[in-house]
Amino acid sequence: MNSFYIMIGGSLGAILRYLLGLFMMKKYSNPPFPLAMLVVNILGSAGLGAFYGYYYNAMPPTTAYSDSLFLTIAIGFFGAFTTFSTFSVEAMMLLQRQSYKALSIYIGLSFIGSIGFFLLFFLGAQAISF
Amino acid sequence: MKIINILAIAVGASVGATLRFKLNMLLLHISYPIGTLIENILGSFLLGFLTAWFSCKAPKEWVKLGLGVGLCGAFTTFSTLASDTVALALAYHFLVSVSYVFVSMFGGILSALVGYLFGVKLWKVYKREMSH
Repeated sequence: MNSFYIMIGGSLGAILRYLLGLFMMKKYSNPPFPLAMLVVNILGSAGLGAFYGYYYNAMPPTTAYSDSLFLTIAIGFFGAFTTFSTFSVEAMMLLQRQSYKALSIYIGLSFIGSIGFFLLFFLGAQAISF
Repeated sequence: MKIINILAIAVGASVGATLRFKLNMLLLHISYPIGTLIENILGSFLLGFLTAWFSCKAPKEWVKLGLGVGLCGAFTTFSTLASDTVALALAYHFLVSVSYVFVSMFGGILSALVGYLFGVKLWKVYKREMSH
């Protein structure tokens, strides 16, 4: 049954990532650095932070792995909505093209943005869930 | 937008996310978030490889989307990386938290590069064999 939750959440997350990526690329066809996955990763990290803060009021314990909502939303949906492999490949290509400025902006914004927005939404949701 | 593309992404993502879940479960007893690290590095290698291979020989769109966007995309994750980093920092393991970020960053980009170069190399070998 656990795999079922993961598959549902994961499929929805990946499809939404694909559609949002298409939309972003249509709207901003020639960004100075890979914008679509940056937005996706920041949005998804903020969403996961909000979910943890509101639903668990804390960072979830490892026992959450037997909770169907955790599996569907955290591991499935937000896990698959955000992605690391595309980040790595896009960064690798900027490296190969020797676009060092775009590379450092992309890497910096990806990590600081995702971790920062996760924390911001986690703390915010934690505050209003009381 | 073709329905077969969406279906391929759903199937790829189901496999990718399930594998990520199983690997996480297997490594849950370790306090360091090693599961996500392994997934992100392995997935980056695979996507780097596929990027090289597909640029030599373009497959059907649904194959590319199923493996790239679906499988690799859902096997790797950024949101869990963010939450693991914050969890480590909140537990006052600041250095571990910072090192986790750097290992993920350099490990991911390096493995994507190695995967890409491996893909280019393997394609050349494959083409040479086929021409014989």
